[in-house]
Formats: sequence, structure tokens, C-alpha cells
Amino acid sequence: MSAATHTEVHANLTDEQVRQISDELDEPEWLLETRLEALDALSELDMPDVIRTPGRDWTNLHELDYESLVDPLNAAENKDQVGPEEAEVLAWSEAVDEHEELLKEHFGSVVDPQENYLTALSTALFSTGTVIYVPEGVDAEGVTIRTEQNSRSLFNYTLVVTEESSSVTILERQSTGEDSEALRASDSASGDEPRADEQYYSGIVEIVAGENSNVQYGSLQNLSEEAYNFTLKRGDADTYATIDWIEANLGTQLTKSGVETELNGDGSESQIVGAFYGHNDQHFDIDARVWHRAEHTTADLVTRGVTDDVARSVYEGVQDVGRDAWDTSSYQRENTLMLSDESEADASPKLIINNHDTEASHSATVGQIDQEDLLYMTSRGVQPRDARNMLVEGFFVPVLEEIAVDELRDDLEELIAARLRQRD
Amino acid sequence: MSSEQDHLKETDTEARFEFKKEQNAAVKSDKGLTEEVIRMISEDKDEPDWMLERRLRALKQYQNMPMPTDWPGQPDLTELDVEEIVPYIRPDVDKREGVDDWTELPDEIKDTFDKLGIPEAEKNALSGVGAQYESEVVYQNMQDQWEEKGVIFMNMDRAVQEHPELVKEHFMTTCVPASDNKFAALHGAVWSGGSFVYVPEGVTVEMPVQAYFRMNSEGMGQFEHTLIIAEEGSEVHYIEGCSAPKYGAHNLHSGGVEVFVEEDAHVQYSTVQNWSKNTFNLNTKRAIVEENGTMEWISGSMGSKATMLYPCSILKGRGATDTHITIAFAGEGQDIDTGAKVYHNAPETSSTIESKSISKDGGRTNYRGLVHIADGAENSSTAVECDALMFDNESTSDTMPYMEIEESKVDVAHEATVGKIGDEDIFYLQSRGLDDDDAKKMIVAGFIEPITEELPIEYAVELNRLIELEMEGSLG
Repeated sequence: MSAATHTEVHANLTDEQVRQISDELDEPEWLLETRLEALDALSELDMPDVIRTPGRDWTNLHELDYESLVDPLNAAENKDQVGPEEAEVLAWSEAVDEHEELLKEHFGSVVDPQENYLTALSTALFSTGTVIYVPEGVDAEGVTIRTEQNSRSLFNYTLVVTEESSSVTILERQSTGEDSEALRASDSASGDEPRADEQYYSGIVEIVAGENSNVQYGSLQNLSEEAYNFTLKRGDADTYATIDWIEANLGTQLTKSGVETELNGDGSESQIVGAFYGHNDQHFDIDARVWHRAEHTTADLVTRGVTDDVARSVYEGVQDVGRDAWDTSSYQRENTLMLSDESEADASPKLIINNHDTEASHSATVGQIDQEDLLYMTSRGVQPRDARNMLVEGFFVPVLEEIAVDELRDDLEELIAARLRQRD
Repeated sequence: MSSEQDHLKETDTEARFEFKKEQNAAVKSDKGLTEEVIRMISEDKDEPDWMLERRLRALKQYQNMPMPTDWPGQPDLTELDVEEIVPYIRPDVDKREGVDDWTELPDEIKDTFDKLGIPEAEKNALSGVGAQYESEVVYQNMQDQWEEKGVIFMNMDRAVQEHPELVKEHFMTTCVPASDNKFAALHGAVWSGGSFVYVPEGVTVEMPVQAYFRMNSEGMGQFEHTLIIAEEGSEVHYIEGCSAPKYGAHNLHSGGVEVFVEEDAHVQYSTVQNWSKNTFNLNTKRAIVEENGTMEWISGSMGSKATMLYPCSILKGRGATDTHITIAFAGEGQDIDTGAKVYHNAPETSSTIESKSISKDGGRTNYRGLVHIADGAENSSTAVECDALMFDNESTSDTMPYMEIEESKVDVAHEATVGKIGDEDIFYLQSRGLDDDDAKKMIVAGFIEPITEELPIEYAVELNRLIELEMEGSLG
């Protein structure tokens, strides 16, 4: 079934398109080759894994209609990337120009471009991106990247490299622009029926955290609810390095997002904090994964989400402790709050433990708003609607408290409050 | 101490479980799965046509289904070659439906069950006993008082002949259809032996009934089928035990268990699985639970080379309850992949799953479980708790729960922990005069105690003893 899908999409895409994208970015030959190889591999690659239980696929990626959604040469976006002077925050084309060696060393080193069909598609077609380089010993606060999608499809790439004993705080936001001129242009060009505002966003993020460095990367995805989103973020933590992720999802009709850390260095640490709020017919498939591959490593995975209307959430959390990961500590908590009877919440927190010198636990809960809490508040004169909204906002507090980037926390709080205000 | 417990003091696993007997078969099928083999089995049992038809249909389904290979982290089944398995061996006994007097059995079979302690247990703690040797039930007996109340406890083959209506309605139809999975289909084609239990309305069978399944021959498959029907307001506790001597060739056990728990009925199903470490243990067990009914699955998995077993409760009626208690112990070369499945299909249903697993010497345990709460099953609740203990760095302990929640008025909680056996705990116990082995045994006993204390005493003693046997001699 997947083979057929691949052939169709593949037929739409050509080497020429990839050459043109690479050429416009003035990329060196090796990058073009990497892209072409990824394009070539599409026919053999599978879709990313989704959870299957008897009779059910938790996420159906084949619903994605790539043929009409992928429009590689008409990519359009509003983008800005800013950061403090101590760190280099470069647009992709600048990075190609100024840091070819850095890219050569790290591009594709954490996320294999040919890991699956969608990573290969993204690698072949990405036209915009950001490279953040933090030199040894530098503390860089407040790097922000904002990407506003204004085209049918957009492929984005982010690379973060931190040298020894440096630190950086990054906030990356995705949204959909009001300006849909490019959309209409591509519709008329293809001669298809205008597909309302359906879009496809794909992003790959690689973080290479050097020894004793500290990366905090927050993402706030607030794309249009017509959009499909595939994102894979993965970090490689060296000795004593820390990678902390914040993964907030509010937009899109379908999101498949992986947030992952490989703890490859002794004493490395990672925290993955997730928050989502799905309503209408949104479908979020959020995966948080950590691999403990060295000694004395620590991981803490905390995700909280809300499902409303007919939304569906899928959560997979994996704590994988390797044979050589002595003295591991690994914790995971996931809580879903269901605001509607028609919504669905699926969860699968997994432990894969191959070293007994491990302290690991996970827990997951699903439930509705506590009726006693609600009664307590309404009996004290709070309107039922306000009481409910306060309880939902309160539900997110344990996650919000983990977010050290003030701007991200404030934005997320406001978006949650706004979504609640839309409700009766 | 009663003589019943004397046999538990026997410390040598070889003497208790792994002894081998000469093979004296009256009928032995060819290896592999062909229509001829299926017809031969059915004919040897003098079955009605409808059962032969079900077998042949199941065979077709088996042939059309792929081997399960794509479950994340599943046990390796590549060494299992079903075509090399002998599916049917009828031991050489005179009476086909099973004798009701142990002394009427051939010496080697009687001696087998004596060593396993079954006749002793029957005298002391059971309402009835069935004993299966290879493919057939050779002993079947129940106390008269239960027979008088209309309780039926007979071997499954005989039930096909004597209770065709009940069997026709319930056998691999709504509960475990052959189409459920490849090994259920296999089971449907070659099943033989097992128990049929029928408890009439309002009857409480006070002491458990037990079935014991013994494989003696190398390279055989055992496919017993158990069908339990507990009518409204009735109550029964069924215990099954199983074991086999170890051989070089692989054995296959693929049982099928179907339980119908009617309104307000209560069924407890306990299993002590101690198959030899060359046995693939791939079972399908399922219960359908009606209004306010209660199903309890208690499983101790100590044996087998690879186990894939996820006892399932379908909570179909309002207020139905499920309890799963699972203990898995995997030593060298073992992959015990077990857990639970619960479908909450009605309001006010509840389930509680407790799993304890222990892995050592390179063994792997995995808790794999699915809890599904259907839309409309409001005010349902589920609580899952998995704890795993690891002995060493060669072993693996996985936990893979799946939760599908389609209803908002629910209370769903899952918790799991994994840890090692604590050096400090061992040191503490050693400083109080215990040696290393005894300290570890005590820690393991303490680890599973919250579960064993909920078990009937005979069962708890047996389970503890088995775990001690598993730990003996292999601790450094």
C-alpha cells in the first residue's frame, strides 16, 4: 500500500526541482548529492512508524495527500531568526556560505536523512533553515526563530551546534501567514480544484550538544488547522551535556511529531516537556523518546495535553536504556484531560531496559475534569464556564512551570486561554 | 505439614518436572499441518461433521495468515517450524474419556502425575481434577456433590459428543474465533483435549477445579481447548498447571481458552505455566463478561522458551469487573512476553491489572498490555501497575502498555517501575546472617508478595516454590 503512494509522489518530484532548490541556496556539491540521494531513496523508504493495535492504526499517515500538497518550487515564508551577538544565528544560505565545514560535519549526523520517507522528502526539498552555532564557553540567551508559512508546502531545517561549556536558549515558532497569494498561485498553476487552505509543513531539527554544554530548545507550533505537519527533532548529548526540549502543539489538522534525545555522553541529561491542546478534528501524534547509551545519564519526560470536540491525541513515550547505560535514572509522566466525550486519547509509555543498574518509572493517566473540583468552585460562586477554564489552565501548570523560556510560557498560556475562550 | 506439601519440599527440578517417560502412543499423527492430518484427528475422535468443518475452515485461515513478526520487540519465532511439530499424540490408554481412578492408568502416566503431586492435591483441596497427557485427557473426576448440582466438568472432546448444543454455540464463535490470530487458527484446526466446565445458575463451586497438562514427547504440540460457562450468579475457580520435560527439538503449546461469565457470575482462572525451556507457548485466552460479572485472570509464567500470552477480558455488561494478576519470571534463554487486554465496552466497568516481572541471566520479560475504553463506557475505570526487577546486566525488562480511551468520563491510570535488586538490601540481609542466595530469594519473595498474598494458599505456595527453583544454583 505504501509503495503505491510513494511512486505517485515520486512521480511528481524530479531531480531538476531538487537541483534548482540547492542551486538557489548556492549549496556545495556534497549537499546537493545528499538531497538527490534522499530523493532517490523515496521509493524504498517506509512511512514513519505508527502504533498499531489489533484492528487499529493510531495515526494514518496515508491520509496525507502529498501529490497535491507538495509543491517544492513555490515555497514561500516569512522568516526571521535573531539572537545575541555571542552566538551565530544564521539563515541556511548564510550558513552554507560561512560554515560549510560545520555543516559537512553535522548535517544529517543526528537524524539520518533516509530514516524514513518523510525525513528523506524533507531533506530533498527543504528550502529554508537556520543554523545556530555557539562557541566554547559562550552563554547565549534569547535566540528566536519565527517561520510563517505562506505556501502550499514548506520544508524547514534547523541545526544547533554548541561547543564545550556553552549554553543557548532557543525558541522556534511556526505559524501560517495571512498572505495566501502563493497558495492561490500554485492552485491555479496545477489546475486542481482549490483545496481550501490545506498545507504541508515539515521540519527537521538536529542538535549537537558538545561536552558540558546546555541547550534549551522550545518549539511552539501554531500552524493553521488546515495544515499537516511532520516534524522530527533529535539531539545528541555529549558528556555532561544537557538538552531540554519544550514541545508545544496547538495548530494543524494532523501532526506527527517526534522529540528525541540520545544520551551518548556520560553524565548527560535530557528533559522533554510537552503540551498540546487539540480541538475540532485535530489529530496529534506526539512521540517523546530518549535513549540512555552512557553511564550516569538522567531523563525526565513530562507531557500534558487536552483533547476537545472530536480531536484525537496519540502519545508514545520511550525510555530506552542500553546495555552499557550504568546508573541510569529515567522518569516519564503523561496526563491527558478529555473535555469532550467525542474525543479520544491514546497513550503508550514504553520502558525498554537492558541494564539493571537503572531506576526507571513511568505513569500515564487519562480523565476528565474532576467533578468535585468543579463543584467546589461553582459552589463558591464561580460561573461553571469560568471554573472549567480555570481548571484546564491549572491542569497545564505543572508543564508550564518546567518552561524556563518566559516568552514561550507566556505565549503558550495565552494561546490556551484563547482557545478556552472560544468554547461555550 | 500435610503430605500435600511434602512434594513441594522436593528441591530438584529434574525430579519434579523434567523427568521423561517412554512414549507409548496409540495414535500419532504425522508432522505438520495438512488436511489429511486434520481429518485423521477428527476421525480418531469420531467427531460430528460440524466440528470437522470448523477445523478445516480454521486450517484455511491458518494458512492464509502471516506469522506475527512486526510487533515491537516481540519474541523471536523464527526457530518455530510448525511443519516440524507433531500435532496429535493419543496416549495408549483404554478408556477414551479419561478414567476416574488413578490406579487404572498405565504406570508411566500414573507416575508422572504422582510426581507432579496432582492426586495429592485432589484429595486435599480440589473439587475436581482433569489430567491431560499429550493430546488426550487421561483422568477426569469431580466430587459427586457438584455433579448432583448440575456442574459439568469433563474433557472437551467428550463435551463435543455429549453437549453438542452448548459446544456448537460457544466453541470458537463469539469469544475466540479462529480468525483472531494465526495461532488461534492453528489451535482451531488441531485442538485436542482440554476442559469443559459448566456451572448452572446460582451454584458456587467452593473448592477449585484443576486441570493439568503434561507434554511428554519430543517435538509435539499440545492444543487443549478450555471452555467455561458460568451461568447467572454462579461462581467457580479453575486452575491449570502445565509442564514438560526438556528436549532438543522445539515443542509448541497453543491452547485456547474461552470463558463466558454471565450476569453476576464470578470466574477465577489461575495458571501456573512451567513449560520446559524448549517450548513455544503461544496462547489465546479470552473472557466475555456480562452485567456485574467478575473475571479474574491469575497467571504465573515461569517456563517456556518464548511466551506470547495476553489474557483478555471483554467487559460487555454494565458493571462488569476484571482483575489481572501476572507474575513473569525469565531466566537464561527465555523471552516471556505477557500481559493483559481489557475492552471496556459498557458503562461502569472496571479493571485492575497488576504485573510483576523478574528477569535474570539474560532472560527477557515484557509487559505488553492493551486497555480500550469504548465511547459510551462512561464511569469506567482502569488501573494498571507494572513492576519489574532485574538481576543483572545481561537481562532485559520491557514495558509496553497501550491505552485507547474514547470516553471522557473515565478514570485511567497506568504506572510502571523498573529497578535492580538492591545491593543495600542484600547487604542488610547478609549482615543478619543470610547468605547471598537466600537474601536474593527473600527479596524476590518480598517483591511478589503483594500479589501472592492475594492468591489461594496452595497456589501461592506452589508459585513461590517454582520461583525458588528457578533461582537455585544460578545465583552468583
